[in-house]
Amino acid sequence: MFINPGLPQAWNFFPPDLERAMAELMNRDEFRTALENAIKGKSANASPFSIAWAEGKLSREHLSRWAENHYHYVGPFADYLGYLYARTPDTYTEAKDFLLANMYEEEIGGDRHTDLLIRFAEACGTTRERVTNPDNMSPTTRALQSWCYAVAMREDPIVAVAGLVVGLESQVPSIYRKQTPTLREKYGFTDEEVEFFDLHIVSDEIHGERGYQIVLEHANTVDLQQRCLKICEIGAQMRLLYTTALYTDYVQDEIKLPELGLAA
Amino acid sequence: MPTVVFHKGGQTYTDVVKDNTNLVVRAGIKQFPFPHLRYECGMGKCAKCACRIIAGAEHLPPVNWKEKKQLGDRIDQGYRLACQLWLNRDIELVQDLEA
Repeated sequence: MFINPGLPQAWNFFPPDLERAMAELMNRDEFRTALENAIKGKSANASPFSIAWAEGKLSREHLSRWAENHYHYVGPFADYLGYLYARTPDTYTEAKDFLLANMYEEEIGGDRHTDLLIRFAEACGTTRERVTNPDNMSPTTRALQSWCYAVAMREDPIVAVAGLVVGLESQVPSIYRKQTPTLREKYGFTDEEVEFFDLHIVSDEIHGERGYQIVLEHANTVDLQQRCLKICEIGAQMRLLYTTALYTDYVQDEIKLPELGLAA
Repeated sequence: MPTVVFHKGGQTYTDVVKDNTNLVVRAGIKQFPFPHLRYECGMGKCAKCACRIIAGAEHLPPVNWKEKKQLGDRIDQGYRLACQLWLNRDIELVQDLEA
């Protein structure tokens, strides 16, 4: 919001459309920095669930509930991208190729990513049946999944890439880089059991970078750039919402906020 | 910023990359060493990105469990999986024509 100290307070409000109109077209470097900042402000690393995870305070039951929810958020990722792929103009050849490569790698490039998630879930004590059963996801996880589908089906394709790939997927390496050593050292999982996290540090970095390339190349108007920034913010908020709900739904009765260094 | 010297099929390709660069991530977005660096899964499972380090190996992190599993005895010959390496120092490496 723009503030003009010379105006009465009630006049110091510009609606978002006007703010967008007043913004300037950014070059690639400026736009990338703006995207990174839009995500950073609401990083899921700040959620109580992520903090408890990083500090080794979660039980295997908590991690089982995480896996049972996470499956329904990341499991359909290739589906989200598939809707998006179909709506991306055929003239955006490289962008389409990048989306297709992400889908391929997610599903059949190596091990199917969700199979590795299930392997981790089983190591936590839950079962494949429980993980794949949609009745076991929380309403908030269902909301995140629905938001991903809505963005993939309805948003401008470039804005959708910004939301799903830059806003959500590109956050993953920084989250898992923090969480994976803890899984080995504090929770005692083996390398094989935590492979889901290891592979995401590499593959999501590739996927996230492809997302950045698409958005930096094709968000070539002020309006598109501003919409991309906004949806990155919303995507990061959605992920934070989802992660925070994991804490309130499954953890808060056993680990209180002050134990995590957070205000109650 | 690290200088990367990449050899393959008798050709040499050189470029400067940003700190903390992963060459498979770069190839995945069609930047140097694309299209020369062969890779496939990007997750340390297929070993298609295996390269022999000619110089700069001492600055790399220790061989991880995936590299041990995929490369076996080739580790002693200086092979590493490019997808598992984030580069912060100059490096020279060669990739065999056949995986």
